[in-house]
Amino acid sequence: MINTSTSTTIGGAAEKPRLRVRGLSKRYGSVQALDEVDFELRPGEVMALLGENGAGKSTLVKVVSGLVEPDSGTIEVDGTSTTLFPSARSQAAGVAVVHQEYSSVPTLTVAENLVLGQTGVSALWLPGRLNARARELLSAVGLDHIDPGTRVEHLSVAEMQLLEIARLLVRDARILIFDEPTAALADREIERVLAVIQKLAAEGRSVIYVTHRLPEVFRIANRVTVFRNGRSLPACPTSELDVDRVIAMMLGRDLDTMFPAHGTLSGDPLYRVEGLLSAGLVEPVSFNVRPGEIVGLTGQLGSGASGVVASLAGMAPPSAGRVLLGGKELSLKSRSATLQDGIAYCSADRKRDGIFAERSIRENLSSPWIRSVASGGWISTRRETERAGEIAARFAIDVKRLGSNVGTLSGGNQQKVAVGKWLGTTPRVMLLEEPTRGVDIGARAEIYQRLRDLCDAGLGIVVSSSDTAEILGLCDTIGTFYRGRLTSFKPQAEWTEDSLVREVMHQETAA
Amino acid sequence: MSEPSGSVTAGMSPTLQQADKPNRPDWLPMALVIGLTVVAIVIAVAVTPKFLTVDNIRAILRNAAIVGIVAVSMTPITLSGNFVSLGISQSAMAAMVSFVALVGTGMPQVFAIVLVIAGLVAVGVLQGAVVAAGLNPVITTLAAGAIIFGVVSEVSGGGIVRAGDAPLSWGGSTVAGIPIEVLVFLIVTIAVTLLMSRTVTGRETTLVGANRPTAEVSGISFTRVTIVAFAIFSVGLAIAGILNGAAFGQATAKSFPDLTIDSIAALLVGGTAIAGGQGSPLRSAGGAILIAVISNMMVLNDFSTGGRLAVQGGVVVIVVVVLDLMRRGAFRR
Repeated sequence: MINTSTSTTIGGAAEKPRLRVRGLSKRYGSVQALDEVDFELRPGEVMALLGENGAGKSTLVKVVSGLVEPDSGTIEVDGTSTTLFPSARSQAAGVAVVHQEYSSVPTLTVAENLVLGQTGVSALWLPGRLNARARELLSAVGLDHIDPGTRVEHLSVAEMQLLEIARLLVRDARILIFDEPTAALADREIERVLAVIQKLAAEGRSVIYVTHRLPEVFRIANRVTVFRNGRSLPACPTSELDVDRVIAMMLGRDLDTMFPAHGTLSGDPLYRVEGLLSAGLVEPVSFNVRPGEIVGLTGQLGSGASGVVASLAGMAPPSAGRVLLGGKELSLKSRSATLQDGIAYCSADRKRDGIFAERSIRENLSSPWIRSVASGGWISTRRETERAGEIAARFAIDVKRLGSNVGTLSGGNQQKVAVGKWLGTTPRVMLLEEPTRGVDIGARAEIYQRLRDLCDAGLGIVVSSSDTAEILGLCDTIGTFYRGRLTSFKPQAEWTEDSLVREVMHQETAA
Repeated sequence: MSEPSGSVTAGMSPTLQQADKPNRPDWLPMALVIGLTVVAIVIAVAVTPKFLTVDNIRAILRNAAIVGIVAVSMTPITLSGNFVSLGISQSAMAAMVSFVALVGTGMPQVFAIVLVIAGLVAVGVLQGAVVAAGLNPVITTLAAGAIIFGVVSEVSGGGIVRAGDAPLSWGGSTVAGIPIEVLVFLIVTIAVTLLMSRTVTGRETTLVGANRPTAEVSGISFTRVTIVAFAIFSVGLAIAGILNGAAFGQATAKSFPDLTIDSIAALLVGGTAIAGGQGSPLRSAGGAILIAVISNMMVLNDFSTGGRLAVQGGVVVIVVVVLDLMRRGAFRR
């Protein structure tokens, strides 16, 4: 199955493409999801698929995996014209999709999961043979150290992701589609997944890699196809691109407007954190936030950066330290205590504790300040609607949709609601974790601009994020965390993307 | 760049605004309970000649009233995400027995009413506090019901408690032709509905049920909401017990045998989500009327209690399934 010559022909036009799509269109009602799209995937190639939310990437993935039947266009696999709909045909053609949601059964063993859903494997249900076959597959995805008898629930998230890939190898897939496989992984784990993907490509398999993490694109992709408004741009070799160029292609404009200009900082600290020891820290941290300043805290997963923010919000009382706002010491005992002191907070997981998905935009926006538009316990619906409307207008949320459930909104608009609701409380400090996770670039720019507006009004903001580009673009002062310690804290101007990434990786790069 | 749970619609739309999905209008569950009631009435009129008489309608409303008062006042508990009480019959019975017994001692009725309400609220708030502290509400109320039943049986000796010669004639009376319990049902429904839809307490109750972690981040106290919901519910239970006590002038520990199941059914038929965050006391009132109409029709047509319960269960299943399908958007497009 492995053609050893393929890896040498990457980039060469001599060989037939593994997959060629021409003039592909798909319309849903009034929405043209795909508009005369061309796409080509060569054997042994990693092709990154980029684009904003709704640009057409997902529809293309659905067409290729046989979930959606295109309205027009041709599809060739290895030079032969074919149909990939329904998904059984797509699978027969060798297409496999690695989903974000893991489909393994947690209470079964690794080996059992590997044969799950396979036909004609009853003979394998002998522990010896099952485990032997499982070891082969596990070593193909770099999971040599895992005992096939381990139950899947004991694996780490990255290991589950790799197991997911191993399950596709059982089917001998030749076109692998990865849909943001690293979204939930820490850097070191990402590295393992990327290494496996490169290994699969080196074996001659073709990979479509959907992501919004540009560094990964430059790390593993041979070429990049950018989607914009349902159309595809011609594929470009990664070697001819840089980050700015890719973003400009995605947006159809330059990124200068993405991050607002930094503010001018003056005056005494507004918010002082002194000797705070929150969960995940091994050493107390101290820093100040001036009025109008955005302080960014960054680090790898488990570095302790996000724990500091949660602790400041009153979500997890620290074991030591104190916090002062305008000279007054704050209680961090409970969320309601910090809320009363004017501390707004958006966690990294907006579905969990940022929004009420089944309630209206109006009720979501008013949830932290509903008391202020009530007299004697009675809500003034008029005042509530007015103020919610003002916030919606500032965040470019359609005011006519105030009555719609937040769950019906796109991820970007949901995040705008999760952040915007705090504007009605006149907060003095705003704490945010991963403020633009799962948010497309258009909505990101709006959120960044609103945060800067708040700062200009004298607020202090603390952001924790694992997105170094975001930290660097948005924040005035940046603190980096490594293994429970604040390893450096200095003005944004003293950082470069390169030095920041290096600092976040810390000893790992030094070693 | 799609969300992990990004839906089909999110992926296929070229711009951000269009990635938003259409909203489900929130009048649908109310329309469903009204529609089903109309259908039930039409069937009843067609198959039962005596159905559309003033006396029968009064009987239906009277039957709906007690169940309705309890279902309406329990709705805040369900809305807040605390499911339902499984100790309804026992608490209402305790209110009925203690009201009759207090009146029987010669105590003025107004005092008896105030005392019964206060007693029930105390017991309810205690349950609310236990639930707020983290115990499962279903288990808590089930246990509380058993304890209440045990205590009342023990104290009353299992026999009939009588109000004696006290003038309880208001119990079965009517005002302008409307039975007193129907009037009280109307007042309770309006009061709890306004409380839930127009006050801060009501909004907070719904939000806690819709998403407790988000509510906590927004500074809404689960403890407060839960205790208030149990207090409102206890007032409703006390009223139900007092009304029946006044109507019959006597009570036993076996009063209200079906109240738990009937009022939970009414609440569910009204379309209040069992997990909380969606629903309204007004709809629970509608559910109580729907169930009373169906029961009445079946009683007039000589169906057994078993048949009545089976149909009631069937209606609950239909409504819950239809609402769930609507929630998932199966009726869209």
